Amino acid sequence: MSSSIDANAKNSGNLLECRSVTKSYSGHVVLDAVDFSVRPGEVHALVGENGAGKSTLIKIVTGATLRDSGDIIYEGKVVPIQHARRDAEELGIAVIYQELSLIPGMTVAQNIFLGKEPLLKGLGLIDGKRMNAMAAELIARYDFPLKPTDLIDTISIAGRQLVEILKALSGKASIMIMDEPTSSLTKTEVELLFRIIATLKAEGISVLYISHRMEEVYALSDRVTVLRDGKLVKVLDKEDISPAEIIRLMIGHKLDETAVQHQLACKDGPVVLEVRGLTSVGKFQDLSFDLHEGEILGIGGLVGSGRTELVRALYGIDSFDTGTIRYLGKPWTPSVRASITHGIGFIPEERRLQGILATQSITRNIGIASLDHIAPRGIVKIREEDRRSVQGIELLNVKPPRPEQFVGNLSGGNQQKVVLAKWLVRDLKLIFIDEPTVGIDIGAKEEIYDHIRKLASSGVSVVLVSSDLPELTRLSDRVLVLRQGKFFKEYKECTLTGEKILRAASGILEDDNV
Amino acid sequence: MYKKPLPTEIRLLLVLLPLMAVLTILSPRFLTLDNLSNVIWSICIIGILSSGAIYPRITGGIDLSLGAVVALTGIIVDMLMNKFGIHWIPAIMMTIVVGALIGLFNGFIVAKIRVPAFVVTMAAKTYLYGVALVVSQGAMLAILEPKPFIQISTGRFLGLPNPIYIMVVLATISQFLLRRTAFGRQVMAVGSNEVAAKLSGVDPDRVRLISYTLSGATSAVGGVVFASLTQQVFAAAASGVELEVMTALVIGGTSAVGGKGSVVGAIIGAIMVAFIINGLNLLNIPAPFHPIVTGVVIIVALIFNQGSIDGFKFGGLLRARKPGSQA
Repeated sequence: MSSSIDANAKNSGNLLECRSVTKSYSGHVVLDAVDFSVRPGEVHALVGENGAGKSTLIKIVTGATLRDSGDIIYEGKVVPIQHARRDAEELGIAVIYQELSLIPGMTVAQNIFLGKEPLLKGLGLIDGKRMNAMAAELIARYDFPLKPTDLIDTISIAGRQLVEILKALSGKASIMIMDEPTSSLTKTEVELLFRIIATLKAEGISVLYISHRMEEVYALSDRVTVLRDGKLVKVLDKEDISPAEIIRLMIGHKLDETAVQHQLACKDGPVVLEVRGLTSVGKFQDLSFDLHEGEILGIGGLVGSGRTELVRALYGIDSFDTGTIRYLGKPWTPSVRASITHGIGFIPEERRLQGILATQSITRNIGIASLDHIAPRGIVKIREEDRRSVQGIELLNVKPPRPEQFVGNLSGGNQQKVVLAKWLVRDLKLIFIDEPTVGIDIGAKEEIYDHIRKLASSGVSVVLVSSDLPELTRLSDRVLVLRQGKFFKEYKECTLTGEKILRAASGILEDDNV
Repeated sequence: MYKKPLPTEIRLLLVLLPLMAVLTILSPRFLTLDNLSNVIWSICIIGILSSGAIYPRITGGIDLSLGAVVALTGIIVDMLMNKFGIHWIPAIMMTIVVGALIGLFNGFIVAKIRVPAFVVTMAAKTYLYGVALVVSQGAMLAILEPKPFIQISTGRFLGLPNPIYIMVVLATISQFLLRRTAFGRQVMAVGSNEVAAKLSGVDPDRVRLISYTLSGATSAVGGVVFASLTQQVFAAAASGVELEVMTALVIGGTSAVGGKGSVVGAIIGAIMVAFIINGLNLLNIPAPFHPIVTGVVIIVALIFNQGSIDGFKFGGLLRARKPGSQA
């Protein structure tokens, strides 16, 4: 660290400046000489695909991970390599964690002042009254809908996020880092968060914002830094920010401008799945539909409308009460085992909880659904297992392409690719896909979309459940909207917009089915 | 560029060899044939038991009943031979079936009634001890006949004690089962993520039933070997051996929360546990200190193994949640 760096730092006018920050994990370079800066009082978005290095960069700044080389200058001072999380907090770097780190059994005030409680004079005891008053003052200043004495368990996820923000503001915070802050918020809560970000900015606090949602980045940011494959691609100033440009920079090649509207196609090949009067009490009632060969049938509806329950029943995870199913023309009683052996696949909505074997290799993850081929007589044919693993990795472009890599250590997008690969190496006829791209960056999303389309054009029928409206409209050949466990509306051979689906899901009938 | 981490087995050897060197230096009696053959018995018992007990452990459960099964099956094999006059070979077969059935019952309660394995097998340990007391009428029974039965453990083949061969055969079968069969893949998958395994066509209940059955069966083999070796059976025989087995498994890199494990590692773990206990005896360290040392060794082994899969084991408890893990 030369003194010239110090001198430069003071002149740069940046609050936080990273120069040539490099980091690699076991030989794999995840950050390659990245320059990055945040100015005082600006809202700065950090975007990039999964694996682009966003999280690593944030971890280095907050002291959760140590960098290999490069300089970090904060408020004109050089931050040493040996820089722990506590040091970052003392500098005024605050992080709002995606997975919240509050203590559930304690009150809002107790959480805000955890570890820095005001004490009664002369006694080592907490001054509860003063603490609540201080919390009330803080809450009033930002006009948050909270009470100091509320227990964390009793308030919503959004409310908890607000507590996290207050906790950060109660200390010294000159930069606030928000990692996917809106992923679990409702629309009104998102609006509140945006107002808060504006307030923070007005107080001169910088906000570093990481999000996959383009419209948020677009609406909020003063500047945007785009990372790709561990390298800095570009820093965009306010006037240059546009969603198309950001996406182009993120994935490195120009995307076709997809229209907001999507024309649904009609596929009337042979019927693969015939469902009649399917009912599961309390979940869904009297559902009937046909699924054709090579068709992508979108199932729309709000969370809790019975979408997930329907595909779970069809795949054979949960039983149903009444109704009949015919698969490939024959009566069909679903069970997971029978589904798999007869060419049906299932991608669950919760990747981490239901999709991946985190402590197992990519090979084992891909192989587990194909034991009938890999170990037909109970003994594993290692060569066949490896062949399928390599096939899956190549087919879906899984990164890093190392079959022995533990899936838990992959990025979300690559984890989902492994889950998909597990089915693509099989001889599929039908696949149920539930929320395929939640928490996945746009590049991996597009790749997964391509694979779903390719599957369908090769004759595989797809039932797609999604809350992501553009995803549903772009991919589907036909859309059924579920509302309160019943089919409320069917869209086929028409021009479909996300808005139409949302209206149907909310129970608004339209007379124009055009 | 990419360096593969050393396999657990190799890392264990890197600890085991210096341990032996230290013991050799500290005690001149350590590297004597007499002493080593003493250690071999305990290695074999722990190794035999570990090759089955590893299965419930990898599924995320535990079998704490195996010490009680060792004692009970020892009594059973003695009674079959010496009370009912059954030939020793069918007697052993029948005993192993009894052990397997006990395991199956444990597995049934764990899998179908969804009681935590810790509680189920702790209860089994208690009532099996009771059964053993009843069957043996609380007595310590000496086994003097038949001679071939005694030979199982006391005999030698090519100069090596027979139990070594039994352990090697069982460990080899177990390792093969774990690494090269569909069942092994399923055990790992269930331990790693039961729901994901289920959605991929694995039947977790069946996997658990088989795992506990295997543990019961190897415990019965252990019971036979132990009875033949000590030539006496009683209800409290081998009590506490389950802790030594769990220590061997932990040292050998078998995850305490499931989804990871190695039979070879467990055998090396068994060797280390036996040497540590032996070393404490040789160095005349008073018995009360032995559990303290064993406890410390378990903790050290856990810390040692924690680095291998970041954040999925104890590391996850020690470290604060990191942001962006969903992304």
